[in-house]
Amino acid sequence: MMLSNLGNILLITNIVIGFSIIYNSFKDLTIKKNFIQRRIYQLCVFQSTLVIMCFLSLIIAFVISDFSVSTVYHNSHSLKPILYKISGTWGNHEGSLLLWVIILTIFSFLFLLYNKKHPKNYRLITLIIQNILILGFLFFIFFNSNPFSKIIPIPTEGLGLNPILQDPALAIHPPLLYLGFVGSSIYFSAAMSSLVTSYSGKSFALSIKKWIVISWSFQTLGILVGSIWAYYELGWGGFWFWDPVENASLLPWFAMAALMHSVIVLEKRNLLYFWTIILCLLTFTLSVTGTFLVRSGILNSVHTFANDPTRGIYILIFLSLMIFSSLFILFKKYKFVNQNINTNSKETFILINNWFMIFYLITVLLGTVYPIFTEVITNHKISIGPPFYNTVIIPIVVLFLLLMAVGPNIKWIKNDLKNFNFLLKIGIISILINFCIFYFFKSYSFLSNLIIISAIFLIISSSRDLHKLINNNKNDFPRIISHLSFGFLILFIGLNHNFSLEKDFNLKLGERKKFENYTLEFKNLRLDELKNYKAVIGEFKIDDSRNNSIKFLYPEIRIYDNPSTLTYEASIRSGLFKDYYITMSNIDRSDYYNIKFQKKPFMLWIWISAMFISFGGFLRLINNGKKNF
Amino acid sequence: MKKFLIFILFNLLIFNFIKAETHLVDANKIFKNLRCLVCQGQSIAESNSEYAQTIKLVVRDQINDGKSEKEIYDFLIEKYGEWMVYDPPFTKNNLLLWIIPYLVFLGGGILIFFLVRQNNQN
Repeated sequence: MMLSNLGNILLITNIVIGFSIIYNSFKDLTIKKNFIQRRIYQLCVFQSTLVIMCFLSLIIAFVISDFSVSTVYHNSHSLKPILYKISGTWGNHEGSLLLWVIILTIFSFLFLLYNKKHPKNYRLITLIIQNILILGFLFFIFFNSNPFSKIIPIPTEGLGLNPILQDPALAIHPPLLYLGFVGSSIYFSAAMSSLVTSYSGKSFALSIKKWIVISWSFQTLGILVGSIWAYYELGWGGFWFWDPVENASLLPWFAMAALMHSVIVLEKRNLLYFWTIILCLLTFTLSVTGTFLVRSGILNSVHTFANDPTRGIYILIFLSLMIFSSLFILFKKYKFVNQNINTNSKETFILINNWFMIFYLITVLLGTVYPIFTEVITNHKISIGPPFYNTVIIPIVVLFLLLMAVGPNIKWIKNDLKNFNFLLKIGIISILINFCIFYFFKSYSFLSNLIIISAIFLIISSSRDLHKLINNNKNDFPRIISHLSFGFLILFIGLNHNFSLEKDFNLKLGERKKFENYTLEFKNLRLDELKNYKAVIGEFKIDDSRNNSIKFLYPEIRIYDNPSTLTYEASIRSGLFKDYYITMSNIDRSDYYNIKFQKKPFMLWIWISAMFISFGGFLRLINNGKKNF
Repeated sequence: MKKFLIFILFNLLIFNFIKAETHLVDANKIFKNLRCLVCQGQSIAESNSEYAQTIKLVVRDQINDGKSEKEIYDFLIEKYGEWMVYDPPFTKNNLLLWIIPYLVFLGGGILIFFLVRQNNQN
């Protein structure tokens, strides 16, 4: 009871502070001094502290299982392990919105703090716009999705958290993803402010650059953790399904990746200002759009765990206001600038990067929302899944990888064709390596050939950059790490795709199944009772006759009581070169079990490559941090 | 130029070895391309529902009857509607879906081409 009241009071105080920051900032704008009043800093510190306290009180409500708070009642249970009580705080709609506001607030404060070199009016207007966003979400929380709403009489037990969400990867997935998603709000505000105050050029680029890198790095990590979770928890052995919710996290990622490159052009050459601004506005708009699509429940997805139409309408109104106001300001301030760009220059290659990113973005966006339109207009339900994306995107990725290898070595302003022969050599080596893989192991499609060749091309070319870097000391290390890892990521995904082995069959206890060089034996079945679920555990022996190795795997069928659900736990034996993956499910009215066996090569390396892509981003931050602060 | 010619020849030689894949109908591939209609956003391959088991039987039967992948999809679309397959067919309704990405790609390319060329002339 007390926590619910405290939470509500904190929310209201936060709304008041939001208004007062906006008021004080406007007042401060009229004062002709070069520095921002102390009071605004104090208010921002106060705001951040209160919003964190607000979140803490929700966490405490979850930890002590205070079921008078409706969010706790709907999403927790007193018998749940403590880790999942805490992660349950952001594992639901209301709590995750509060997390959203925390990130908005803290980024707002840090942006104010770390940009002291920039003009006062630019910083203040950024602060005002950011606080309008904060208020928008606070109102949404308070009136529509209040995590602190009370339940009377107080229930004695909670409804529990969906078991597939009770997982360590999913506990850290939302905070990571939100740092990316919501982190992009700060350069949305900064871009608006830059238009209003006509603060452009190199210094503007410098003020937003690190925030782009921060959000991009966390977004990458967040997507990675989500994929790992999907791989071992959803039990189909894949890690990316082009599902609407997955796409929603990928859309801002493309925009951020494009922005991260074009902002360098703005910084070094003072070109592409309006394009950079558009990307800034687009990134956060896509983040909110993604949230809208997911939370409104208009899309059918495996990850949909909470939706309600009224939320959709609120977010839609908020989104429309955001889009219209930003477009209005953009068109008012837009003027044509002649871009002085040479064909063979780094600027052109960065433009080409942006071109590809926008292509990916549009394709994924179209694939995600197209079914909504066909249903509304023609009353025809269609599904758009992996085959569509693979057909449209993969051929273009080939070209993209090749350009990604060439681009970074091109000079600013004007470049001459000196290193062409060298690229030719790398090309020949890549084709030879691909040929060896193809010839000695297993044949695959023409397109896979191209993908693997271009990935190897990027890897060799980036490795050469790395080698050159060791000889002369340049600040290009983070870029090379990210590009190199991207090459490895595509290579391993390509190999994984082509060398996976999948078998789907029904088996009875004690039976064996032989395929290729494997023998699978269903050895045992036992029942286990654990604290919050019962489990039927199978024991499978895999005999690999080629390598003379024997492995045991134990897939489970879990029966949860609160809420009562059946889940299928995959058993995975991860190795350096391949994973073995088994899921088992019962077939009604029969002694047979449906078994899915998979051999997935290089899974570990896919995760490591993706991790290093984002590691490149963090490294860039550390390097720049040493210079700037 | 000579080097470039050698490069092209070399490629032709290498790709000459790549034979067309044998066209066996892969049941797993079909399962992955079918939506499990009773589940939330899962394919037949990943679902553990009874419905998925039935569809798997149907698909396997059809493969044994010697039907091609496309024939199986057509059969299922007729029975359950386009919602069932993850690969939207190239029909009048889906025309925009399939061409817009390429139009964007083409348009972007032309835009960059003119932006850059215009400046080279100046």
